[in-house]
Amino acid sequence: MKENIITIEHVTKRYPVGEGEFTALNDVNIQFRKGEFAGIVGPSGSGKTTLLNIIGSLDSPTEGKAVVMGKNISELNHKDSALLRNLHLGFIFQVYNLLPVYTVFENVEFALLLQNKTVTERKKAVMESLEWVGLGKMANKKPSKLSGGEGQRVAIARAMVKRPEIVLADEPTANLDSANAHAILKTMKTLNKELNTTFLFSTHDEKVMGYLERMVHLEDGKVKQDEIIEAKKTE
Amino acid sequence: MIKFLFKGILRDKSRSLSPIIVITIGVVLTVMLSGLLKGMLTDMIDQNAWFETGHVKVMSREYAKNKDQLPNDLALLGVDTLMQSLQKEFPFMNWVKRIRFGGLIDVPDAQGNSKGQGPASGMAIDLFSPHSVEARRLNIAKSLVTGSVPSKKGESIIGNEFAEKLHLKLGDEITYIGSTMNGEMSFKNFRVSGTIRFGVAAMDKGAVIIDITDAQEMLDMSDGAGELLGFFNSGIYNDKKAQLVTEEFNEHYVQSDDNFAPIMFRLKEQNNLSGYLDFVNSMSTILVSIFVFAMSIVLWNTGLLGGLRRYYEFGIRLALGESKGHIYRSLILEAILIGTIGSIIGSVIGLAGTWYMQVHGLDLSGFLKNATSMMMPSILRSQLSPELIYIGFIPGLLAMVLGNMLSGIGIYKRETATLFKELEV
Ligand SMILES: Nc1ncnc2c1ncn2[C@@H]1O[C@H](COP(=O)(O)OP(=O)(O)OP(=O)(O)O)[C@@H](O)[C@H]1O
Ligand SMILES: [Mg+2]
Repeated sequence: MKENIITIEHVTKRYPVGEGEFTALNDVNIQFRKGEFAGIVGPSGSGKTTLLNIIGSLDSPTEGKAVVMGKNISELNHKDSALLRNLHLGFIFQVYNLLPVYTVFENVEFALLLQNKTVTERKKAVMESLEWVGLGKMANKKPSKLSGGEGQRVAIARAMVKRPEIVLADEPTANLDSANAHAILKTMKTLNKELNTTFLFSTHDEKVMGYLERMVHLEDGKVKQDEIIEAKKTE
Repeated sequence: MIKFLFKGILRDKSRSLSPIIVITIGVVLTVMLSGLLKGMLTDMIDQNAWFETGHVKVMSREYAKNKDQLPNDLALLGVDTLMQSLQKEFPFMNWVKRIRFGGLIDVPDAQGNSKGQGPASGMAIDLFSPHSVEARRLNIAKSLVTGSVPSKKGESIIGNEFAEKLHLKLGDEITYIGSTMNGEMSFKNFRVSGTIRFGVAAMDKGAVIIDITDAQEMLDMSDGAGELLGFFNSGIYNDKKAQLVTEEFNEHYVQSDDNFAPIMFRLKEQNNLSGYLDFVNSMSTILVSIFVFAMSIVLWNTGLLGGLRRYYEFGIRLALGESKGHIYRSLILEAILIGTIGSIIGSVIGLAGTWYMQVHGLDLSGFLKNATSMMMPSILRSQLSPELIYIGFIPGLLAMVLGNMLSGIGIYKRETATLFKELEV
């Protein structure tokens, strides 16, 4: 059997609100294995982003344990959590968040600069991942010159360039039209199959759900249902 | 990574332009003001040295006590021997005699009756000895308004304004009325060979310049002089060396109880110059500190605004796996890059401005016409000196780095998740 690369055990997250507290996640238990193409789905405010941020070690649980790539998130210091993100995690956001002063190439290259890769290594990896998303020719463009769909594809290339084990995608299609949404979902599915990268979505978009192989339904911070879907939808 | 940051700075004008401008202005001001202070200081030292104090000065003890009254009755005698021994003992200095004297200048008409009178502030220097550099030292030839330097005994130069007040022309006869060293009345006639304006308020008032031998005759002080001045052959005042010379010389006379024994003072001990020199030095320190402080505040604020604008960018960089510490250090690195650029531009402009002020100067004689007995140059000049290269550069860099450090602390204060939240638009 494939090993778990994400283990969430009794995770609770509370936010201080005024005098009291608000419970965003309430005793959540789930595991994800390498190579999964899974989604956390649920209505707005159900805690999807909160869960994704904890897995991405951008936030830590109030109670319980989150283990990612064998590391207990609560026990990591700034430096180690940065290292975990840098080496093993890729992020894709609702808004594609490219740095406006840098070119497409430089935006994708940044994560590799942090890894002290050589110029040749960087160039090869960046061009390769731009090819994956079909933007090899756009390398020298500024983000402001791109369409929304192209921007989100650059964001995918940026997440993939360091070949992470896990890609966390928070509502990646929310700002895209239907054609572009399908295009990037297909790209991600292909990468998932070719590179065995784990994809974890947060979404309430039907289009995304159509591609998922597993759906974790969240409601009021609780897991309502954990649904495995037949791998039939790959067109 | 540096290249990456550098590209960001160059492309994002709003990130770099205002700090660079702030630093440039601050550095220019610091450099130029320091240059100006330094120039004023040097001019002041020179003026005082050339006209009054020498680099060191020998007087009789009694004369020294009352020197403001120009008490020639207390002057040194046997000065030729004294000069020879000084020249022998301290050959790296040039020794000269001077007599300063007060009195009245009277302008007679054809009948010998007084046509006009005025109080004189006289100075007798060695004009005629073949090796004397006194005329050159006081810049007399260049300061002449009309006429020429006296070429023979019985000639004098008088202050241009003084001459105008007394309606004197070149070649006119004037009469000095005063008292000799022994307290007897003294009269002597001089021919006006030139009129002069030094541009030094204290010197130009009622100025009369004659040769030292004329003064010795007129004041009945053969082989006497009020003051012996020593100048370093290099022309540059060196306080440490002056102190050594002074101590060595005064050592000879400590045992003496003669009230007229010679005593030597160095420049810094005269005319309250020591206080003034210290004042100017602490002024420059204070000025530079104020600029660094003010620049840091401004840069802190620009840094803070820029930083807020960039939380978006920091959020992305955090997500891509950069640590907070690394982001913070990269901000400092950016500050160093920007600070260096601004400081270089500022230093270049500041040095150019200082150079301009050194060559052309700023004429303040209008303001100083009636001013003070202090030896103040009336043309403001800056002076270029090696320390100007870092006096602006280092504070400029420091202010920028300090400003960014302060504003960057905000990154540490914020929770990673909060920084990251800014991404969820
Ligand atoms: N920093 C915070 N302080 C207080 N409450 C918070 C904070 N972050 C999130 N919450 C609350 O926690 C709940 C879950 O938020 P979360 O962002 O995880 O929801 P979500 O499922 O991602 O919703 P959406 O679909 O709208 O993105 C929400 O009610 C939100 O208001
Ligand atoms: Mg969300």
